[in-house]
Amino acid sequence: MTANLVNILLGGIFHAAILFLVAAGLQVVFGVQRIFNLACGSFYALGAYVGVTAVRAFTGAGGPPALFILPLVFGGLLVGLVGVVVERGLLQFVYDSDEAFQLLLTFALVLMLEDVIRMTWGTAPYSTSGLYLVYGQVTLLGARVPVYNLIVIGASLAIAVGIGWLLTRTAFGRIMRATADNREMAEALGVDMRWVYAKVFTLGTALGTLGGALVIPTTAAMSEMGIELIVEAFAVVVIGGLGSMRGAFVGALVVGVFRAFAIAVYPELEMLLIYLIVIAVLVLRPRGLFGGAAV
Amino acid sequence: MGLVATVMAVLPLLAPAYHVLLMLPFMAYAVILLGLNLLFGYSGLVSFGHALFIGIGAYTGAVLTTHLGVRSLELILLASAALGALVATPVAALCVRYVKIYFGMLTLAFGMVFYTFLLKFYRLTGGDEGMQVLRPTLLGQDLGGIPKTDYLVGPYYYYSLAVLVLAGLVMWRIVHSPFGLCLRTIRDNPTKAEALGISIVRYRWLAFVISAVYAAVGGALLGPPTGNVDPTLAYWTHSGNIVFMTLLGGFANFFGPVLGAFVFIFLQDTVMSVVPYWRLIFGAILAAVVIFAPAGLMGLVARRRPAEVAHT
Amino acid sequence: MMLRAEGVRMFYGDFCALDGVTLAINAGEFVSIIGPNGAGKSTLINVLTGALRPSVGTVRFKERDISGIGPARLARRGMARSFQLVQVFPDLTVVETLQAAVVSRLGRGTRVFALLERDSEVREGALEVAELFGLADKAHTPAKQLPQGDKKLLDVASAFALYPEIILLDEPTSGVSTRDKHAVMEILVSASKRLGIKSIIQVEHDMDIVFGYSGRIVALHQGKVLADGPPEEIKANEDVVNTVVGRKAGAFERGA
Repeated sequence: MTANLVNILLGGIFHAAILFLVAAGLQVVFGVQRIFNLACGSFYALGAYVGVTAVRAFTGAGGPPALFILPLVFGGLLVGLVGVVVERGLLQFVYDSDEAFQLLLTFALVLMLEDVIRMTWGTAPYSTSGLYLVYGQVTLLGARVPVYNLIVIGASLAIAVGIGWLLTRTAFGRIMRATADNREMAEALGVDMRWVYAKVFTLGTALGTLGGALVIPTTAAMSEMGIELIVEAFAVVVIGGLGSMRGAFVGALVVGVFRAFAIAVYPELEMLLIYLIVIAVLVLRPRGLFGGAAV
Repeated sequence: MGLVATVMAVLPLLAPAYHVLLMLPFMAYAVILLGLNLLFGYSGLVSFGHALFIGIGAYTGAVLTTHLGVRSLELILLASAALGALVATPVAALCVRYVKIYFGMLTLAFGMVFYTFLLKFYRLTGGDEGMQVLRPTLLGQDLGGIPKTDYLVGPYYYYSLAVLVLAGLVMWRIVHSPFGLCLRTIRDNPTKAEALGISIVRYRWLAFVISAVYAAVGGALLGPPTGNVDPTLAYWTHSGNIVFMTLLGGFANFFGPVLGAFVFIFLQDTVMSVVPYWRLIFGAILAAVVIFAPAGLMGLVARRRPAEVAHT
Repeated sequence: MMLRAEGVRMFYGDFCALDGVTLAINAGEFVSIIGPNGAGKSTLINVLTGALRPSVGTVRFKERDISGIGPARLARRGMARSFQLVQVFPDLTVVETLQAAVVSRLGRGTRVFALLERDSEVREGALEVAELFGLADKAHTPAKQLPQGDKKLLDVASAFALYPEIILLDEPTSGVSTRDKHAVMEILVSASKRLGIKSIIQVEHDMDIVFGYSGRIVALHQGKVLADGPPEEIKANEDVVNTVVGRKAGAFERGA
């Protein structure tokens, strides 16, 4: 019984770890640029596909399976640079437009990326098979957990800490927080918005692509993964509060664990319950757990 | 408008069946978009969950024909409209208190609740395979005997056209009513509108409910041609697509959405016949519209004829 | 007594914007609120028009509490306002703007299926106000194409079109050239008589206008009412002259 519970819990936490990365990417972009990037799920998908490709190329070229995590992470982060292209090439033209248009532009991205992925990798599921089991499994409180999952959870935690450090201890982090608070003032103080926006958006993208890459070993990259994940990520940021990192962290845990239990107990409900929670949050406490701005 | 109507009326006699069949979803989407424009173009609210009502309309038709033995298209349309209004009443009341991104998020959540319900409760809804929609009777006439294509290209086509024209006339009156004027004030300057005693929440609610009814009716029309409805009708990307269509044609312009639906459907068909990657091209078009021509195709036309832009 | 504020205090965090304002406006008065920047005039306006709920104290209109009820409900109860920073509907024409106000006044906003152009009461009501304000010849011009002065007039005219019992004008002549200010004020005064508006409250900086038209002046300073009385009294009040009016002795000799 405990084994089952632990299994579910750890599964939920693993999912939360991935969700956190994508949600953090969303929050970073929303917090600083006030843009809700519907394409964050698509970047996640992109990271997943590129991750698989990188790993396959690596092992195909004779790389030791135990080191597969290196090309995986590397590939995931590298494709995050797509963020620069997107930001400079598309997004920057709508910074002064109505929020609705910005949202629609990110939707356009969703459409385009969906087909780009389809064109490049086809529609069949694409995976690294059981490669991740190369790290073996451990038994925790009676449940068998792949070590890889624990690595990912650890990495996600480390990144969470890293982001916290970035925001509070570095100059760039201060700039980010200042811009999030009051863009005009930050600009008036000499901050070069173009640079900030480009970097922030790329950071957000890279977090998403990394999340996609890291999830890959345990599942397969599939064409719908992007548009499916965005609704989960969206639930995370609503519950946690738009623009808040702590919110992304707690929200991801809530959604990840809740979903794991829901699937185990009553599969039909799964996301349904989560959407209902989202609605409840939006109605009762629109700024979520840690969000700041008024509705 | 008269010219367009005449062309459409004569089309089935002139054009190949393939294109005429394509007009059917176009007409359904035109009805949906006429309603959505009231919400998007005239009230300024971007909903990412409007497909919820399309789904309601579509599944109403399915449930009525396959489970309840009701085949009359009139009843189906009425039931869809009623259900759409019924669901919209509380949903709208909740959503219109929020603006912009929170409105988008709330509507997205509602849309996805319905989608998940349709998907997961497969015993009721048929799950991801959806439900069948049996051929409805038109004005009491059971046309079950004639071949499907003849039915669709003939009587069903004209029925849809009639519904579209009726929907258009009603929407015309709505837009040119005192209510329509109030909506435009809210869109243009909410602060000033409130200062004039116009309650933003109340009017947006009304616009939402009306647009939901239109979406449901359009959704009901989508069912019979394919004979099947499935949960993807309520998926958030479907909501995104209809907003896209509205923007493409030109929101806040009366005929914009109809144009947008037309261009979308026919362009999609054309592109798909060449290469399956219509999303890439459409995504690029949407990006281009948002960046360069936010007033849509009708906006481009207006730029060249400034004298006629007076008001919509 | 139509509009009454009692003991109103407004705090923004630790900052006290209004510090115990008590004020009563009766029917038939033309009151000007004056004061240097930062005196709390905008805050007071917002409290008086139900846009802000006072931290302490009450504000009543026709004996009913209006704290924070919001502009829409207040407008329906009979008090309208115009804005310091002009608020118009950019894409609506002059006549459409006025029609919107009349529609609101007549409660016809929920008439979903009636054609506006067939509603003669609305059309005539709008035209009447347009003529009173000299905007009739620009009736079909979209507001965004109007010169700044006309936009201001439209903002005020649309508030008047609500036939309010009290109207609050926030700097009605700001942005208007000195030569035209008196013309604008004449329009406002005659329009109020024609439309049956009982009281006018205005926030004004131009002392000529203030002393030329008001029956009563309320001077605000640092969130408190410094003085409240007829123009002669205010002119004679040293404190007011020093803090608010300034030593432009020549100015009000001419204006009064």
